[in-house]
Amino acid sequence: MNRECILMMADDDPDDREFVREAFEESGFRGEFRYVDDGAALLDYLALARDSGRRGAHPIPDLILLDLNMPRIDGHEALKRIKSDERLRRIPIVVLSTTESQTDVERTYDEGVNSFITKPASFAELVEMAKRLKIYWLELVKLPGETAAR
Amino acid sequence: MTDGANDEFEALQARVRELEERLESRASEETFRLVVETAPYGMVVADASGSIVLCNPQAERMFGYTTEQLLAARIEDLVPPRFRSAHPRLRQTFHEDPVHRPMGAGRDLLACRRNGSEFPIEIALTPLPRSEGLLVLATIVDITSRKRGEEELLRYSRRLEQSNAELESFASIASHDLQEPLRKIRMMGERLAGLCEAELGEQGRDYLDRMIRAGDNMHRLVRDLLEFSRVGMRQQSFRLLPLGTALGEALAALELLIEETGAEIRAGELPSAEVEETQMVQLFQNLVGNALKFRREGVSPIVEVRGSVETGATGERVRIEVADNGIGFDPRYGERIFQIFQRLHGKGKYGGTGIGLAICKKIVDNHEGRIQASAEPGEGSVFVVDLPLRKRRQFDTDSDPK
Ligand SMILES: Nc1ncnc2c1ncn2[C@@H]1O[C@H](COP(=O)(O)OP(=O)(O)OP(=O)(O)O)[C@@H](O)[C@H]1O
Ligand SMILES: [Mg+2]
Repeated sequence: MNRECILMMADDDPDDREFVREAFEESGFRGEFRYVDDGAALLDYLALARDSGRRGAHPIPDLILLDLNMPRIDGHEALKRIKSDERLRRIPIVVLSTTESQTDVERTYDEGVNSFITKPASFAELVEMAKRLKIYWLELVKLPGETAAR
Repeated sequence: MTDGANDEFEALQARVRELEERLESRASEETFRLVVETAPYGMVVADASGSIVLCNPQAERMFGYTTEQLLAARIEDLVPPRFRSAHPRLRQTFHEDPVHRPMGAGRDLLACRRNGSEFPIEIALTPLPRSEGLLVLATIVDITSRKRGEEELLRYSRRLEQSNAELESFASIASHDLQEPLRKIRMMGERLAGLCEAELGEQGRDYLDRMIRAGDNMHRLVRDLLEFSRVGMRQQSFRLLPLGTALGEALAALELLIEETGAEIRAGELPSAEVEETQMVQLFQNLVGNALKFRREGVSPIVEVRGSVETGATGERVRIEVADNGIGFDPRYGERIFQIFQRLHGKGKYGGTGIGLAICKKIVDNHEGRIQASAEPGEGSVFVVDLPLRKRRQFDTDSDPK
């Protein structure tokens, strides 16, 4: 990772945001951790990022961690809108949710999510998850789009 | 005998015959009148023009007329005003093809009392050919109370369905939301243990461990509650399935446990039944899983699964038995173990929350079957499941009558 990676988390639960941030820190993630409270705030942020590109106050995130159950605009809606936006659809999105219902999982994939993870029940598992996400999405996978900047 | 005398005699004989016939028909008329009068139904006889020529006291009472009033009325007067104009045509049609029409379900009509109030009736029509022309006997039953009963039953079953659905979605929402704080208690606990180990000291660490364990325990309870509430919530598809297939899947899922315990599974020939596959797999998995878990120390478990088909009053039924040589239990608790979170054996020795059999019961209920257990302490247990081979259709009258 040459440049600083940007991890964006959309979750209305401050405890969860903190756990995830700490888990990523523990995993060795050295990028920038940003968060928003809900789907609407995420879409607002991405609208600004789309127009300003990499630089400035609203850089395009390298990975979005998305909760499903959020006020105002929920994860499903946010996901659909991002995946139907020409200039945002390539951002990898990982849903981090507590639901275990199979229909919810299927629906989320149909909406275009890149992967679906059930929120781990222990901190140790959360760190493990952060490690894998970091290695997979931020190091291993070659993504389209911003190749020049990587 | 002279010719004249002969003629006279014949005339006399003819007269006698005529009188006899008249008497006979008088008698049969009398019989008919008696039947009509004492019948437990309203009976009204009308002529081709729709005028009422005969009625019984039950009809008078049912419609609120006196005999004279009813005999002066027309059939149309007994029909609610909004149907009156169409009614002569219906009578006409009957007259063109006068065959008996029995009372039948699905042909309930509305009738109108003298005071204008309406009530549901069922009606049978019988043609009475007479020399004066065709008469029609209408036999009428007031079905108000039956209708009310039916409606009440329908309302009641709808309410029941709704409250069931509400309860299930409540349990599923509640347990999902209950998971959240638990997950956090656990994570905070782990963070505390990790980051503040030194400050905690030995006793602090012990309390914290126990707190985390209690949280984990509750997490399992809530998860199981959620699972329990979900049985039958998902899209269900019932099909004729060889139960051996479901057992096979269940055993595959238990493979590790079977290996670890050195268990012998004796699976007999199992019949087919119209079931929901995933639920059947879960049923077998829970029953065989229990049989392996509650094994006697030092005795390798033997689990026998038997099946048979029995024909009873309610059609063909499938009987499945899961028998083990394990620790058994006091038969006094044979029913209680099917309730959620009811366990008979200590937590320390045998893990579990007590959800397995509750789920089995729910699955079997969902298949309109029964589940029972018999056991003796130290003598092993037998769980017997009894299911209809074919699922009963929701509305049997609508399905093909095969
Ligand atoms: N085969 C068996 N032999 C002896 N006791 C049994 C057997 N099956 C069930 N029981 C008794 O019935 C109780 C309820 O069984 P159930 O399957 O509902 O719960 P569990 O197995 O204890 O926990 P869980 O199924 O949630 O893991 C058990 O705790 C046990 O005491
Ligand atoms: Mg069990």
